Amino acid sequence: MDGKQSSTGWDPREAAAASLMAKGLSVPPEMAPENRKILLVGQGARFTDSVLDYALNLADRLGYDLVAVNVGPASPAAGPLAGLKARARRAWFCAQASWAWRPVRKRLKAAGLKAEHQVRFGGLGEVMTVLHREKRRIEFVLNATDSREADMLGGVSLPVFTISTGKGEMNMTAEPNVRQVLGRTLGWGAATVALYAAVFLNSESIMGYFTRGGWYAALPVATVFLFSYIHGTFAHHLWEALGIRAPQQKVRPQARPARRQRPRPRLRLNV
Amino acid sequence: MHEMAGSVPFIDLNSTTILFLFCVGFVGGLVSGFIGSGGAFVLTPGMMSLGVPAAVAVASNMCHKFPKALVGAIKRYKYGQVDLKLGLIMAASAGVGVQVGIKIQEWILKTWGQAGSNLYVSLTFVAVLVLVGGYVFYDAYRIARQGGGEKVSPLARRLKQIHLPPMITFHTANTRISLWFTLPIGFATGMLAATIAVGGFIGVPGMIYVLGAPSLVASATELVIAFVMGLGGTLKWAVNGMVDIRLTLIILAGSLLGVQLGAIGTTYVKEHMIKVVMGTIMLIVAVSRALAVPRYLTDLGLMALGPGTLTVLNKMSFLFMCLALVVGAVIILGAMWRAEVSRRPGIEATEESLG
Repeated sequence: MDGKQSSTGWDPREAAAASLMAKGLSVPPEMAPENRKILLVGQGARFTDSVLDYALNLADRLGYDLVAVNVGPASPAAGPLAGLKARARRAWFCAQASWAWRPVRKRLKAAGLKAEHQVRFGGLGEVMTVLHREKRRIEFVLNATDSREADMLGGVSLPVFTISTGKGEMNMTAEPNVRQVLGRTLGWGAATVALYAAVFLNSESIMGYFTRGGWYAALPVATVFLFSYIHGTFAHHLWEALGIRAPQQKVRPQARPARRQRPRPRLRLNV
Repeated sequence: MHEMAGSVPFIDLNSTTILFLFCVGFVGGLVSGFIGSGGAFVLTPGMMSLGVPAAVAVASNMCHKFPKALVGAIKRYKYGQVDLKLGLIMAASAGVGVQVGIKIQEWILKTWGQAGSNLYVSLTFVAVLVLVGGYVFYDAYRIARQGGGEKVSPLARRLKQIHLPPMITFHTANTRISLWFTLPIGFATGMLAATIAVGGFIGVPGMIYVLGAPSLVASATELVIAFVMGLGGTLKWAVNGMVDIRLTLIILAGSLLGVQLGAIGTTYVKEHMIKVVMGTIMLIVAVSRALAVPRYLTDLGLMALGPGTLTVLNKMSFLFMCLALVVGAVIILGAMWRAEVSRRPGIEATEESLG
């Protein structure tokens, strides 16, 4: 893919720089053409490691910059305080996305790569159209969402390569491994045992207070709430550790009918 | 439900007591998590058979019931089975029902004494359990014969068409019905809870057959009602210093394990299994209460039976009550096991085709 076939069309800066170089003159920095870019689009607050690895390696090999976009859901206005709720949801999404991008920044610095991280909200099609207008020299798109290329691009004509990881990007958090689950179970179990020991080793004095009546009634009530939280969490992890959990229910996004598009390059990458 | 003055004797605990309470708590929690109610009716007489005074037994039982219901409700809410709006509206009317039920109990106690009160309780028990439990069981059998697939009951369909404002839409229960049909179900739940300590035996079938909620949503929503009623009742008892926190915590140790397992179970098995378990338990408990009736009739002088016979009948009554819970638990665990086993081969086949 070279500049002439770039989908962004004729770039005046690039043409001027090219003509200077053709004359053997050096190109001043402010006229230097922008580097070509890969647009990586994800539909969650973070990209999975396999997707990031692939995108960064590809950018490195091609010498392109990377623009990574986390697209958050458009919040429909509903009910009282809808604006406030929407703002809070967006702030939370942005915070999660920034937090997830921090280790990536370190990797980029170490590899000497240039990448930009953006968070946008709304439908994929709208976000893509806006980005396509804003960013120059996007060569192609890496699709790390669950949506199909046709739904994604709207009217934008860019090559799209869909990265399928097998699990789907809706399943953002990895399955907890056995050691984590066991660790959690034992941790909460220890807390439960500690609580029970505390009550039963001091049962005389506790019974004395708890059965006084009146305002002391708050004591047994507060105690059972505390035990419910600690022991309840232990019980949850215990059943999980024993492999007894509800069958997973994946949320399937509603597929919008695809608009007829010109045939575009399709490549499924199994990473 | 009388105030007790002076010091109340709290029992000493030994390993048998602890094990018994833990196991009954677990099984009760399992059934509760699955059908939305149950367990309480075994625990109170169970504790009394250990020597716990009646008031302390009721109070400690209630004090474990509401956190168990909370944990179960939260878990089933995560599975999308709880209709919070329905639960809260019914809890409000159930609260009123409880007060009315208590007043009726007190009046009967005053008029006919303890024996008369017990007879009233037992007869109510038997009537409700046989009628409602029998119908629930028959309905489950019919659905199983047809190969599954619950449908909204004809009564509910007719009631939903009656436009009596305010009409309320319950999204999770997938029903839109007048408030004036919703409130009586909650009220009856509260009344029954005050009488026989299990409101869910009217609440859950009521939500299914009168309001048209699916049994999964009805049993999950019942936990919300149980939480609210349990909390209210506990506060009343705790203010009088009747809660034996040691008993409560031991039962809770078992029931929090059981209630989560029961909740998970609802996602494993076919929906009509809830009706099967509920109907079965109700019918066996009806037998148990029927076996206790002769004793009250004898006390009131309406029947003449020897003390030996009465003791045997009492023991059998208690046994049948425990049997109800055990049978319910066995059905739940059996259904979960079968569902798990039938799931496994499918997964293995996929792995083979990929490998």
